[in-house]
Amino acid sequence: MTIRILTDSTADIPADEAQAHGITIVPLTVFFGEEAYRDGVDLDNAGFYRKLQASKDLPRTSQPSPAQFQEQYQRLLAEGAEGILSIHLSSKLSGTYQSACTARDMLAETGNTIPIEVLDTLSISVGMSRAILRAADAAREGRSMQELKALVADELARTRILAVLDTLEFLKRGGRIGNAQALLGNMLSVKPIVSLRDGEVVRVEQPRTRSKAYARIAQLVGEMGKIEHISIAEASEDVGQQLAEAIKSVYSGELTFYKLGAVLGTHTGPGTAAVAAVIAL
Amino acid sequence: MQEQSVRAARPRPRRISVFDGQDLKKAMSAGAEWLEAHKEAINALNVFPVPDGDTGSNMSATMQAAIRAIVDSSETSAGLIASKLAHGALLGARGNSGVILSQTLRGLAHGLDKKTTFTAAELANALQEAAILAYRAVLKPVEGTILTVVRDSAEAARLSAQRGDDLLGLMHEVVMAARQSVAHTPGLLPILKQAGVVDAGGQGFCTLLEGILRYIRGEAGVNIVPMSANGASAAADEPPVKKGRVTVEEEFGYEVVFLLRGNNLNVDEIRQHIIDMGGVSTVVAGDEKLLKVHTHALTPGKILDYGVSLGSLLDINIENLQEQSLAYAAESEAEHAAEAKAEQLSSAVVAVVSGKGFEKVFEGLGVNAIVPGGQSMNPSIEELLAAVEAAPSENVIILPNNGNVILSAQQVAGLTQKQIYVVPSETLPQGIAAMSRFNFEADFATNCDTMKGAVKDIQTAEITTAVRTVQIGGVRVREGDYIGLINGNLAVAGQDMEQVIQDTLQRMNMERYEIVTLYYGADIDETQAQATAQRMKERYPHLELQVVDGGQPYYAYILSAE
Repeated sequence: MTIRILTDSTADIPADEAQAHGITIVPLTVFFGEEAYRDGVDLDNAGFYRKLQASKDLPRTSQPSPAQFQEQYQRLLAEGAEGILSIHLSSKLSGTYQSACTARDMLAETGNTIPIEVLDTLSISVGMSRAILRAADAAREGRSMQELKALVADELARTRILAVLDTLEFLKRGGRIGNAQALLGNMLSVKPIVSLRDGEVVRVEQPRTRSKAYARIAQLVGEMGKIEHISIAEASEDVGQQLAEAIKSVYSGELTFYKLGAVLGTHTGPGTAAVAAVIAL
Repeated sequence: MQEQSVRAARPRPRRISVFDGQDLKKAMSAGAEWLEAHKEAINALNVFPVPDGDTGSNMSATMQAAIRAIVDSSETSAGLIASKLAHGALLGARGNSGVILSQTLRGLAHGLDKKTTFTAAELANALQEAAILAYRAVLKPVEGTILTVVRDSAEAARLSAQRGDDLLGLMHEVVMAARQSVAHTPGLLPILKQAGVVDAGGQGFCTLLEGILRYIRGEAGVNIVPMSANGASAAADEPPVKKGRVTVEEEFGYEVVFLLRGNNLNVDEIRQHIIDMGGVSTVVAGDEKLLKVHTHALTPGKILDYGVSLGSLLDINIENLQEQSLAYAAESEAEHAAEAKAEQLSSAVVAVVSGKGFEKVFEGLGVNAIVPGGQSMNPSIEELLAAVEAAPSENVIILPNNGNVILSAQQVAGLTQKQIYVVPSETLPQGIAAMSRFNFEADFATNCDTMKGAVKDIQTAEITTAVRTVQIGGVRVREGDYIGLINGNLAVAGQDMEQVIQDTLQRMNMERYEIVTLYYGADIDETQAQATAQRMKERYPHLELQVVDGGQPYYAYILSAE
C-alpha cells in the first residue's frame, strides 16, 4: 500500500467501514453552546438528533484546524505513505478544504516532499462517499496518484444528489444555500427538495407534502438515465426507508444506506433524506 | 517596554524603541482580552451568510488558544514567543476568520524569527509577512474582508516606520488605518452594504490591534466598553480620523484614457480643466497636435465630451476602478456594480397577486416579481410588461392567477424581446401549485411544461358574497348571499357562510385529498378562520390542514385541496 486516502467526517462514512478500507477520517467539530463535539467521534447520528431535540442552543459547526490535518498527514507519512490523497467536502460549504491545503503547505515548508494532493469534491456526504471508498480500494491495489485522482473525478462527475428537508431554515441559518439569496420566510409548509450545483446547495422544488417530495425525487432520478448505484443518507431510518420505497419504482439495483452525521444534521435539520445517484457510463 | 507608566509620562510619552518577548506576550494578551470582551458585538455583525459561523467567538477562541501557549512562558526572546503564539493559534484555529488570524500570527512569527527584541521597523516588516500569509491562506482572496484590513494595517505600519515612529506611534497609525479600513469594507463588498454592517472579521482584527495599542499606552485592563453593532467603538475616545495622506480615497469611478488629436492644443490648460471637472490622478502629455489624457473620474462621459469639443478622440479606454477601489465615497458606483452582477437566471417568474399574505406566500416560494392585482383590479399590460422587463432573466413565466388576467398577460409576449410563457392559472392556489413545482435548476421549457401541468393538480374553492341576484347553472343566487365557487365555477349559494363552506367542501369530494390550505381574507380574523378549520378537521379527520393569512379582498376564504 503506497498511497493513503484521507477524508473528513462529512463523507458520512462510518468508522468501521473507514477502517476496513484504510481511510483516515478527520472530524469537523459541532458545538452546542460552548461544548465541542467531534463529528462522528464524540457524537453519532442518533446522539446528535437527541441533543438537537434536548438542547436549548442551536448547534454550530467548525472546520478542522490545519493542525488536525497536519497531525494526520504526518502520521500517514511516518507510516510510510508514498502519497496522500485528501478528499473533502465542497469548499463553498466549509473551510475544511482550505484547512487541509494550509496543512499541506505547512508541511511542504518544513521540507516534506512526498506528494499530498487535496481534492475539493464540490460535493458532500453520499455525494462523495462512494468515490472515496472506491479510491481507497484502488489505492490498496497499488494504483498511482494520477489514476486515483482520475477515478475520483470520474465518479464525482457522474454523481447527482437530491435531498428532501423538513424546512430550509437550517440551511438558511448557516448561510449554506446558494440560489436563494432573497429567500424569505415561507408562509406555507413545504418539504423542499434541494441539490448541489457547483458545490453550493440550491433549492430545486417545493412540494407541499413528504409523499409528493419522495415521488418527485424518484421521478427526477428516473429521468437521469441508466443508474449504476444509489446511496441514501438519512437523518433517521423512517425517512430513509420512505425515500427508498419511492426510489424502488425507478431503480432495482443495490441501495446503500448511510446515517447523516452531526455536521450535516446541523445544517439540514431533522427529517432529512438524501439520495446520491451514480449515472452509468 | 519599560515598566514605567506611559500614561504618567503624557503629554510627551517616552519613546518606546524595542519590545522583547515578555513585552510581546503582554501586548498580545491585552489584545486577546480586548477581543474577548467585544466578541458578542463582533458576532452581531455576522448577519450575512458566512460559512462556519460566529466570527467574534471564533477569532477570540483562536486568540485564547494562542495566548494559552505563551501564558506561562518566561521566555524573553520575541521570536520564540511569536512562534509559540502562532503554533497555539494554529492548533486552536476556529472558523475561516480564525484560520486567517492564525496565518497572520504565523507571518508575524516568520518576520520576528530569531529576533530577541524588535523595533518598529522590524514589526512593520513582520506585519508585511503577516499580510502575505493571510492572503495565501484563502483560495480566492476577497477584498472588503479581514484580508483588506490586515493589508491596510501592514501598509500603515510600513509608512509609519519609514517616518521613524516608535512602537507606540506605529501601533497608533496601524489602529487608525485598521479602523478606516474596516469602515471601508461595505464599499468593497456589496453584501455588507446590503446587510448594513462592516466586515466582522476585519472588525475582529481591528479590535485585537486596539487592545494591543491600549496596552502600549498603559490603558489595558481598564474601561472595557462594548462596541455597538455597527462596529464603531462606543468608547468613542478616538473617533476614526481620516488621514489626509491616505491616497486610496482617490481610487474611485472610472479610469479614462484616450488620445486627443487637434490643433493648438494647450497641455496645461487642458490638464487644469479636467482637474476642475473632478478628474483625479490626471496626466496630460504630448504636444499641440496630439496628446494623451489619463484621469480618474466619476463621470467619464463629461471628460470625453470635453475632449470632443477640442478635437477628435482615438483609442478610448474606460475602466471601472470600483473592483480595486478602496473608496468608501463611491457608493452609487458600488450599487451599480452590484446590480450589473445580479445573477441572470435561466427563468424568472412574475406573479399577479392580491392580498398581503398571498404576496408573502409567493415571495417565499421564490417568485422574482409581484404585480398587485386580481379580482376587480386587474393589472394593466403595461404593469405586467414593466415587471417582465425588470425580471432577472430573458425567459419569464407569468402566473396570472385570475381568469381575467390571462389574456393581458398573453399580450405581453408581443411587446417584449423576452421569451414569455403564461401559465393558465385562474386562481391563486393554482398559481401556488405551479410555483411549488417550479424547478430552480431546470430549463425554461421544462418549467413551462411542469407548471402548466401542476395547475390541474389542485382544486380551488372560493367563498365570497354575491353582488347581484342571478341564476347560473341551476344555482339561484340573491344579492348578499354567500356563494361557493369551485375552480371558478359557481357551485353553492346560501345565507349562512358556514353552511356554504360545508356544502362546497362536500361537492369537492374531500376524501380524495391529503392536504388542504385555508387562506382567510382581509375581512376574517384568525380566530374565526381557526374555528372554521376546526370544523373542517372534525368532518374530514384525514386531512392535513394549514391556515394561512391570505389578506385577500372580497373573498372571505380561498381554499385549496391537493
